[in-house]
Amino acid sequence: MGEIKQIRLCGLGGQGIVLGGTILGYAGINDGKWVAGSSSYGAEARGSACRSEVIISDEPIIFPHVTRPDILIAMSQEAYDKYIKDMGRDGETVIYDEQMVCTKEISGLRQLGFPAGSVATKELENKLVANMVILGIVAEVTRIVSRNALLSAIEKNVPERFRALNLRAAELGLALGRAQK
Amino acid sequence: MAWKEVRSALPAGNYYYSGNEAAAEGAIAAGCRYYAGYPITPSSEIMEWIAVRFREVGGVFIQMEDEIASLSSVIGASWAGAKAMTATSGPGFSLMQEGIGYAAMTETPIVIVDIQRAGPATGQATRVGGGDIMQAKWGSQGDYPVIAISPWSVQEMYDQTINAFNLAERYRVPVILLAEQAVGHLRERMNVVEKIAIFNRRKEKGAAPFGAGDDGVPPMPAFGEGEKLLVTGSSHDDYGLRKVADPLVQARLTARLHNKIVNNREEIIQHEDYYAEDADVIVIAYGFTARSSLFAVEAMRREGKRVGMIRLKTIWPFADSLIRDVGSRAKKIFVPEMNRGQVAGEVMKYTCCDIIPYNQTDGEVIHPNTIMGELRRLL
Amino acid sequence: MAGDMEEYLRPGVRTPFCPGCADRILVRLILRAIAELKIDIDRMLFVSGIGCAAWIPSPHFNADTLHTLHGRAIAFATGAKLFNPELITMVVSGDGDLAAIGGNHLIHAARRNTDLTVICVNNMVYGMTGGQVSPATPMGIFTSTTVEGNRERPFDLCKLVAAAGAEYVARYSVSQPDTLVSSIKRGLETPGFSFIEVISPCHIQFGRRNRLDTAAETLRFFAGKCLMKDEAEGLSPEELRDKIITGEFSNGRNQAD
Repeated sequence: MGEIKQIRLCGLGGQGIVLGGTILGYAGINDGKWVAGSSSYGAEARGSACRSEVIISDEPIIFPHVTRPDILIAMSQEAYDKYIKDMGRDGETVIYDEQMVCTKEISGLRQLGFPAGSVATKELENKLVANMVILGIVAEVTRIVSRNALLSAIEKNVPERFRALNLRAAELGLALGRAQK
Repeated sequence: MAWKEVRSALPAGNYYYSGNEAAAEGAIAAGCRYYAGYPITPSSEIMEWIAVRFREVGGVFIQMEDEIASLSSVIGASWAGAKAMTATSGPGFSLMQEGIGYAAMTETPIVIVDIQRAGPATGQATRVGGGDIMQAKWGSQGDYPVIAISPWSVQEMYDQTINAFNLAERYRVPVILLAEQAVGHLRERMNVVEKIAIFNRRKEKGAAPFGAGDDGVPPMPAFGEGEKLLVTGSSHDDYGLRKVADPLVQARLTARLHNKIVNNREEIIQHEDYYAEDADVIVIAYGFTARSSLFAVEAMRREGKRVGMIRLKTIWPFADSLIRDVGSRAKKIFVPEMNRGQVAGEVMKYTCCDIIPYNQTDGEVIHPNTIMGELRRLL
Repeated sequence: MAGDMEEYLRPGVRTPFCPGCADRILVRLILRAIAELKIDIDRMLFVSGIGCAAWIPSPHFNADTLHTLHGRAIAFATGAKLFNPELITMVVSGDGDLAAIGGNHLIHAARRNTDLTVICVNNMVYGMTGGQVSPATPMGIFTSTTVEGNRERPFDLCKLVAAAGAEYVARYSVSQPDTLVSSIKRGLETPGFSFIEVISPCHIQFGRRNRLDTAAETLRFFAGKCLMKDEAEGLSPEELRDKIITGEFSNGRNQAD
């Protein structure tokens, strides 16, 4: 059996959660993997709870929804509180924006906080690219997608006028991830 | 034969598309160059994708004033020579029923993609449902043929949309891609091959456009070719001349419409078997639910349980002989559905075997654990 | 002239219209307009809905004809015309078909200014189904569903379609054959949406219930109500009540605005 990783991204509508999931999945395709992604969100386009899930696998995926996440990426407190319940097994990782989320202590669970939002605001003067910072961190820390696959996925999925900004955000995330190690 | 091999519209390779995007690309690959639609969740991405891509491939796109107009204009375009389609969801599909009946009666090749959501009525617009199975077959008045296909993956949203156009052109019949929201909005790896086989409607100058060909399917000319066509939704003779009180014309026409599909069902119907050979309990599933089912069946096979699955890829015409055969072998048949038993009822028509429906209409997909739980109770 | 038009009629087809029906006149007038413009009828597509008027082109006209669902003729025509702009596309249908069940398609095609010529055959009643009230039935008129006289106001179809943005809008009666033929020609020559309302009385379903016992009487009754637009100018609303104003109401987009 090849490796299969289930990733759940969650936060608020407007934070780029769905796009983040799409780019992560696209990066998986770039790496030659099998990928399935789905998302759920409220009827309102901004501010409601938002979730995007990606499965990246070495083999074809039969059931395409996440059954038990290996990686939880939380961009808001509400989302963290809702989905942390599903986490806790060995080898699972939670990555969160430390500006947005206060964590609960769960023994054995690796929970890593990063200043994604504040880096996006300070370094790039654009809070909206916090999602790309997070993706860079995730790639570096978990290795579910390669650096090149991620950067090329961003290039393909972001409109041209925002491309450079988003790529810089991902690079900042990759650097944050490296520093963690 | 009017089969030919053409280059795919997209470069060969792997893509990360949603089911809706894949359906739009499948249509373009099949040669669809007319699309009319009306916004509706969860199908609108198909129309939005077409609106962009038709500018590149040279198609005609129009957003109409409602679903009735959308399908009407698609039928008009088909008679003008286009491979034409629309996409919608349950509420819009209801409005299209009169047009589906008309397309069946006038033997107009059209493709409708129905991305099913939780009904009835407005229901839950962003949530999944599978309640349009019977609407696809019996939604318009009278007896008429349709073909309905149930894709379970993004790859099939692409491949089966191509197949839908081929079947529509081959049999001059409305073809419905009965997908569910969970497949339309799913993103997956999708592979595009370099060349695909497509079927273009047969033409024959001067031939009766509504007369029986060898296989019950007459050739189909287009407007503007000097054929002085008579096309009508009223009963008509082989040349389309209205005959609204002739019992023989009515009987011959309705029988031929029915038979041209039923007599060719071996060519039309597709299914897949998984561990069905020696299974005591067989799951009959389709669409997204077949993925949950296969996941459950494989997990239970690993435990040594004799369970199997048959996936219906074609819903209409219904795989009657397959069900007869399965029913003679299995002890029990389990039919999980995101509706109140629309396919289970059909299964019961063709076998006396013990049939256990499972009906979930909560706007969520049926989870593999649910299916495993039910199967354990049946073993 | 009539001889020239024989080639435009499908051989061996008998007219289904009641003796005295004004639609019989209109069959000839539409074909006369096409003949005078010397249009190759094989380039034409005739689309119709459901009802007596929808049978004017189908099957009589020896051309491509598309006899559609009730109310949907314009939507069907839109698809054919957009996919093959070479088709000179004419819609012929009744007031009930185009303005009631098909009203939404009518105003939206006018808004888009789709290149169609729509002949709205107005007999002010549902003829084929037994003489029920239509959205073009005048007030006070008796029909099979307005047994005390129609209490609803009818549409002024020309104003409606002009306001929606149609390029060319006109109204004439079959009792004004020459001006009507000129108008149909104008409609066919106008790029964009052309709408010609034709007063085409039904002596069976309309006349009979309103003490107009013969076809001639019914035709005379309507002919007497028709005023040309310039004749109507300066008349008081009182004098114009019951009158049918004929003429061109939109001839180019600016006039519609």
